[in-house]
Amino acid sequence: MRAAYFAFDRFPSSKGSAVHIGQMAAELFDRFGGGLLGVLGGGGLPRYQREGDVEIARFDEQIPNLIDRAEAYSHWVARHLAPHLETLELVHVRDPWSALPVLGHRHKVVYEVNGLPSIELPHTWPQAAPATVAKLRRLEAHCLEQADAVVVPSSVIGDAIRKMGINPEKVFLVPNAADPVAPAPAPTLATATATATATVGASAAPRARPPGAPEHYIIYVGALQRWQGVDVLLRAFARLADLTDLRLVVCSSVPERRAKPLQRLADRLGVAERIVWRFTLPHDEVAGWLAGAAVSAAPLTACPRNLDQGCAPLKILESMAAGTPVVASDLPAVREILGDDGRLVAPDRPAELARAIRILLEYPEQARAMAARAGGRVPTWADSRAKLAEVYSRV
Amino acid sequence: MDAEEAGRVTPCMVSTGFFVLGRCGRAPVAACGRCGRPICDRHAGPGGVCPECAAAQGYSSPYDPLWTSGFRRHHYYSSSTTYSDPGWYGSFDDYDRGAFDPEDQGDFGDFGDGDDRDFVDS
Repeated sequence: MRAAYFAFDRFPSSKGSAVHIGQMAAELFDRFGGGLLGVLGGGGLPRYQREGDVEIARFDEQIPNLIDRAEAYSHWVARHLAPHLETLELVHVRDPWSALPVLGHRHKVVYEVNGLPSIELPHTWPQAAPATVAKLRRLEAHCLEQADAVVVPSSVIGDAIRKMGINPEKVFLVPNAADPVAPAPAPTLATATATATATVGASAAPRARPPGAPEHYIIYVGALQRWQGVDVLLRAFARLADLTDLRLVVCSSVPERRAKPLQRLADRLGVAERIVWRFTLPHDEVAGWLAGAAVSAAPLTACPRNLDQGCAPLKILESMAAGTPVVASDLPAVREILGDDGRLVAPDRPAELARAIRILLEYPEQARAMAARAGGRVPTWADSRAKLAEVYSRV
Repeated sequence: MDAEEAGRVTPCMVSTGFFVLGRCGRAPVAACGRCGRPICDRHAGPGGVCPECAAAQGYSSPYDPLWTSGFRRHHYYSSSTTYSDPGWYGSFDDYDRGAFDPEDQGDFGDFGDGDDRDFVDS
């Protein structure tokens, strides 16, 4: 075995990270003639699979404490790596728990940074003490210093890595991407009941309207952490109450129990009846929902996770690829993706977000023209994989 | 096995697929020696077990209350001879770990099933 890819993340899943893992791992295994993919399992996924020359192993121990679980996972990675240490040439990782056990051997290590736990965990685990977060930061820095190459999906994340003192010559930008999506047909009663059958990348036949989709809707796609700003979008949507036929579709990549606080907020705002929730839809179905929306919103908040660390939201890229006009928060990481071909608004400002959505809805032709321009600037996964291949060649 | 006979027996039940998982569905040649499900020639591993059972050999039960600490201790012990810097592993003490207990957040049992509180990107 010449190559391995490890991620402390479930694969496959409905999250954007799974799309990314699939594409990056496919490039690695194409180049090295197969290898080992080590990911998280659970939820009925098999612990072990063989797909041609790729082995997929899944860590699925139900250990309640996150740090205990992460360390047990690290040990599991070490055990899966040990039989192949003599032959491995390259190991690609996505997080410090995967990186720790693969460092210090003869093979090269490519560390792909989509997020830094020291920045993201305090948002999701607010009880973590500053001293604990500092330990996480040291752990990350250690892994990044030891890796042979660091791959980032956004230059904002690249800057954050360089500010940590990591050698800038080994930091490479491999942008997130999205493949073109067929547009949705014009909304009619006949298509409203059709079954969604199209898949991502299908460019010939027009995409059928997803079952249950409203006639006229704006959409949010993604997870529901606070930094996503879905609460800001709900407040903005409450300001569009005069548009009585307009619906908000929320395609959540996480289970419904995580949406409870947002659903309560929607109740309080009096918009609950006008919101259509969909949870953990398969990725190809989400493409259909995106393509049928009048506007796609990415209301990211101005928090350290989005501002200092940066991000490269697939929801924006996939909206652009689907030809759907995008309204997003004016953050450096978003501007890098969207340029002038989307409507940028000040983050955390529901009134401004509502106004921007309203303008796009009132000028649909201009909005579609803007979306068409945006679609032209989305890198495809083939472009992205070619950039990753260059990184593999350099190390 | 002819086509008619192959149509009557339960096909190979091993999960396959990369993005979308399904059953292998090929004609079986044996039953897995551990779980008993039908497996085809492609998925019958050494010892006559299916790939999942082959991988599962050696996994222990995490439901034993001593398991986590035992696992951790064993992990530090073994990693100290394997990795360049074992100090990293011991750096999280009980105080650090306490913040990451799910019961503190009032949602014990939520872990591991598509949770968005682990390490995530959008």
